[in-house]
Amino acid sequence: MGREVGIVGVGQTHHSRRRTDVSQAGLVREAVNRALADAKLSMDDIDTVVVATGPVLFGGVNQPEKWVVDAIGAQGKSVVRLTSGGGAGFAGALAGYYQVAGGYSERTLVVAYDKLSEGPLQYSISTLYDPFWGREFAVGIMGFSAAYWRARMDVLGHTEEAAAMCAAKNRNNAINNPYAHQKKAVTVEDVLNSKPLCWPIKLLDVPPISDGAAAIVLANDKVAHHSNSRPAWIRGIAYCCEADNAPERSLMVSEPLALASRQVYRAAGITNPRRQFDVVEIQEPYSCFELNYYESLGLCPPGQAADLVASGATQLDGDIPVNPSGGCMGANPIGAVGVIRLIEAATQVMGRNESHQIKDAKLALVQSGGGWANLRGCAVLSA
Amino acid sequence: MYYAPETTPIDLPTFHSQIKLPYTLTPGRAAGIFLVEIANGRIVGSRFKDGSVIAPAQDFSPKDGEEPEALVEAPDTGELTGFTRVDGAVIGLIRLDGCANAFTHRILGELADLKVGQRVKAEWDGAAGQSILAIKGFVVAADAPVGTVKELGELPEPLGVVNYAFALDYEHAYGPYYGRMFDEIKQNGVFMGVRGSNADEALLPPREIDDITHKRTGTWKACADTGTIRACSIINIEVYGQTRQVPYVYAEVVLDGASTKMIHVIEIDDLEHAKKNIKPGTRVRAVWTKGERQGRVSDIERFEVIDG
Repeated sequence: MGREVGIVGVGQTHHSRRRTDVSQAGLVREAVNRALADAKLSMDDIDTVVVATGPVLFGGVNQPEKWVVDAIGAQGKSVVRLTSGGGAGFAGALAGYYQVAGGYSERTLVVAYDKLSEGPLQYSISTLYDPFWGREFAVGIMGFSAAYWRARMDVLGHTEEAAAMCAAKNRNNAINNPYAHQKKAVTVEDVLNSKPLCWPIKLLDVPPISDGAAAIVLANDKVAHHSNSRPAWIRGIAYCCEADNAPERSLMVSEPLALASRQVYRAAGITNPRRQFDVVEIQEPYSCFELNYYESLGLCPPGQAADLVASGATQLDGDIPVNPSGGCMGANPIGAVGVIRLIEAATQVMGRNESHQIKDAKLALVQSGGGWANLRGCAVLSA
Repeated sequence: MYYAPETTPIDLPTFHSQIKLPYTLTPGRAAGIFLVEIANGRIVGSRFKDGSVIAPAQDFSPKDGEEPEALVEAPDTGELTGFTRVDGAVIGLIRLDGCANAFTHRILGELADLKVGQRVKAEWDGAAGQSILAIKGFVVAADAPVGTVKELGELPEPLGVVNYAFALDYEHAYGPYYGRMFDEIKQNGVFMGVRGSNADEALLPPREIDDITHKRTGTWKACADTGTIRACSIINIEVYGQTRQVPYVYAEVVLDGASTKMIHVIEIDDLEHAKKNIKPGTRVRAVWTKGERQGRVSDIERFEVIDG
């Protein structure tokens, strides 16, 4: 193993349904400036930059990293752009982690964003499907996600009510998140009674569509102390994939996430995730995914996710709070979300979370990935 | 293991697809003000702390990312720093007087008359509105006096949104496996897959390598046009690009004889009825389109539930 890698600076925009006052590049700049200020650094101190966004059709700008680099003053630096659907920001963080852990960079800036108000979201997601086989009848990611939730209901008991509990929990947590833009108290009944969009997915199971950016500065153990006396160390991070339309693939428990968590837990010395983690941040593109991830991350055995959420354990005052920030329900600028979840978990173990600081949080679990089935990952952070 | 067969290019028919998308792009402050002012016949540039001016205006310096100190009015005269001809039109790089950068625009003139360093002047099109095309193009103007950058008075509100759209046409190569499958659909109305490396069920769509064993797949096999729903949802949301009226069912169907899914639709009349009667495990059959088959998945118009 190479160098230890810590998150030493974080910054995100005040996310919004639509920002007409800044361009895509201007949005990115806000997050980058905040992260650099937080890390007490300037762009001169940064060795390499990773720019992560969702698919290029989301914003209609090809090779946007060239625009972004001009706007953040990173001309002349080593820059790569990464895109990986919903997990784009997380994949960007993984790339940055490799650069620092491998000793190729002392400090790497990872910035992730999407400005989803600018294009037709579900249709651009439909273009991710095989053009020969499926694109004609795809309904973005919502039709697909709802279909497998419906299948998990029968096999794993992921009921509409259990998912509604996740949605209500996250929506209510988001009210206190200064960066969220959807902040309205809702009850489980409100979620259950909301309009079916792709049944079983209903309006309040669905996060907002957002414009937003998020940035983190990663530093090795030699220089981290210049920025932060208490960095959030990355104890393990992985992002796995599986075949798209292979036989023997049930899509019940998320296989790539189960694989990723096994790797990460081994690296971080996690043997009992439910007991060991103080706080969890999950990327839930729809409420039903949260139930799926409880099981894939080993927070409960398959088939017990509904019981876990019903027990209250994942509420703010439970023994394993999930999404104190409100998760995607407060804001969902898709490409940025992987980095936002890392920020929310990092500030928890740094002891300075702005939404709901979990008391004495020392060990945090972060999950990220697309609503798309086959790319998902997780990371463990500690102070 | 993987195979690396000897291959030579051959010309075969392709699969046409089009991606057509509308956008509402945000230009940001500087470009937004540029677009408002160009409709008034003024070219807005950005002046940075070191005194350099770039036009059209940008929110960030291309040199160091700094924000401009002020937005200014650039003259509509300048010099040509490069040019080429595209599709009969002449395109040039123009550096406006007093500015540090060159930008691309049309040159209204003959290629033979142009040389690098030539003086040029904007020709305006008053009817083009808030668009870079409010300048119709630049014309050669050997005697145009050298203009100067001026202060701008009160700044207008920037334009917040620019409507934009594109349609991208693709010609995808089928490859031998998809090629055979779509030929069979078109000629015979049959969905053919290939057997897994170690199974009788077919992988559909067919492929060279089995995803699970990573071994070469087996022989071709015709699948039935009946099957079982593996997963489904009831689409009640209207989104751009949809081809069916809501509500309808999005279904992932495993055809009899196959081990993998295909995505299709089932028409319904009523949401509540569909919730109860269409679910994982429900048996369905294909309803083919009438008329000549095209060799596409949409040659099946929809699936319907097999009663009883």
